[in-house]
Amino acid sequence: MKNYYLSENDFSDFVTRMISTKELIAPIAKGPRFVFSKIKSPSEIRLDYDVTILPPKKEFFPPRQNLVKFSSKGYEGCIDPKEKILFGVHPYDVKGIDITDTVFENNKKDMNYLANRRAATIVASNIQKVSSRAFWDTVGADIKAKGHDAFLTKISDGYHFQTLTTKGDALISCGKFTAATEKQSSEAKKVNESVNGTCPEKLKHSSKDIAKKVRDSFSKKEMWDKMAQRCFSCGTCNIVCPTCYCFDVQDKWNVDQTSGVRTRYWDSCLTEEFSKISLGAGHSENFRESRGSRYRHRIMRKAAYLNETLGGPACIGCGRCSSGCTANIADPVEAINTIMEVK
Amino acid sequence: MCDNCGCETTEENIFLPKEAKIIKAVQATADVKLFTLKMADGYIHWDPGQFLEVSLFGYGEIPIGFASSPTRPESFDIAIRTVGRVSGAINKLVAGDSMFLRAPLGTGFPINLLRGQDVIIVAGGIGLCPTRSLIQYIMDRRDEFKKFTLIYGAKNPSQQMFKDELATWKKSSDIDFYDIVDKADENWKGEVGLITSLFAKTNLNPETRAVICGPPIMFKFVVMELNKRGIKNENIFLDLERRMKCGVGKCGHCQINDQYVCVDGPVFPLSKAKQLEEAL
Repeated sequence: MKNYYLSENDFSDFVTRMISTKELIAPIAKGPRFVFSKIKSPSEIRLDYDVTILPPKKEFFPPRQNLVKFSSKGYEGCIDPKEKILFGVHPYDVKGIDITDTVFENNKKDMNYLANRRAATIVASNIQKVSSRAFWDTVGADIKAKGHDAFLTKISDGYHFQTLTTKGDALISCGKFTAATEKQSSEAKKVNESVNGTCPEKLKHSSKDIAKKVRDSFSKKEMWDKMAQRCFSCGTCNIVCPTCYCFDVQDKWNVDQTSGVRTRYWDSCLTEEFSKISLGAGHSENFRESRGSRYRHRIMRKAAYLNETLGGPACIGCGRCSSGCTANIADPVEAINTIMEVK
Repeated sequence: MCDNCGCETTEENIFLPKEAKIIKAVQATADVKLFTLKMADGYIHWDPGQFLEVSLFGYGEIPIGFASSPTRPESFDIAIRTVGRVSGAINKLVAGDSMFLRAPLGTGFPINLLRGQDVIIVAGGIGLCPTRSLIQYIMDRRDEFKKFTLIYGAKNPSQQMFKDELATWKKSSDIDFYDIVDKADENWKGEVGLITSLFAKTNLNPETRAVICGPPIMFKFVVMELNKRGIKNENIFLDLERRMKCGVGKCGHCQINDQYVCVDGPVFPLSKAKQLEEAL
């Protein structure tokens, strides 16, 4: 771990140098909101963003990812990682990436994800603006963000830059860094600590207590049905979630009708089709037919089912589902605080 | 395998299937085709109750159980019912054609817990296909098991599969075999009714190990019959059917509670399945 300082004036050159070595993905403005996107010029970067529409997981696990290409001559896998720098990732999203790292490592390693992940350098950054539905300071609060290669913090007259891995160290040659003074490092620490406790939404219980109570509430059918009453089963909450990783796999022919691709697409457990199997002759069986059971499955996955595997909840408190939900029912804070109060 | 600790370090593409050649393809019923296959590279090892992701490029992948026993390793069988687009395309294949497989996947029948015990297998409809991997296993290593009972229910006589084997099992003193159909035709001379009515013919010791595979609706009633005969839930094993899309515990479609049916199952002891609220 090494601490550096970069002046405000040198920031632009640093970004330009990074762009010249690798693809640089960073937050940019899109209308009134923000997205992670490929950067062409330093002026596009908006480190003062609150939250991006989609989480950065799309850089490793894109919405559409080819798994196998086939033709009349044979078939081959499509793993083809591109080196890139993912720049300006908020700590909650770093936690999200750490979660998808774990699930794609588990059981059998999924190199379609892992190869992309390993080819990436992640530069986290301090949160300059808190989004209106955020609750990252009360969800899994004891879990530290890890897996990033460097951490950039805006301080009074420039940036504090902490490198954590050799990939992080490699970025130093891109900018006019000097060793950070103790004063600069302590200011960076204060800047990062100062956002804690500022999220507008708050969970009132520990992850452990929540996991137990949520798990024990499985059979409260009426409660779940009521919570899901206004659900459109649209799956937006899944699509914007940094820790959702379910997918469907489909084959598609190219126009020549002899070659094609096997592709995976993000899928959503809130949609009606998700757990349905065909039994033939027009019959089918749906193992989560009611909206309540699907809503419950999502909350269970975020707050209870994966906790043992992950060492904490599969929710990082970004609030994207809360603001993305048309019916305004997806908010985990509201759902969990309600569950905790139901006798 | 890693040299230091033996952990799984394989970094191959888990979605890349292997080619298998069709040695034989016969119609098992009007809509079920039985394929005998051999891997193009010659090698495959599996346990009874494990499954494969079977695919045809341009159509897709479907999860299918092994329908033959690893005690017959020279080739292996799978049976596919024409249900949708993928199964429909696969079932047009003939001997000499290829299909593409990812296998073996999942956790099969607990042979070690069945060995040395009385065993009953209850198969409904196409559930006879995955259980056939275990039936053949027990028949091939008959000395390792005690009393062996098989109960098989089909919708009607024309839906009965593996007719030659059924006839052999009926005559064999190695197996107490009972079959029934929901609806008879004019040539049917056997039993007619629900699969559960066959239990009256059996003589089951309470220590019997039971394996059930069939349509979800069947489980509940068969379990009641088994429980009535003193068979405990931890000795009853269910072969569950779910949408096992990726087969490697990632895609989420087959998840029940915190379990992935495609990794932790598809075979579960009933005692465990009872704790998974969405399993039954």
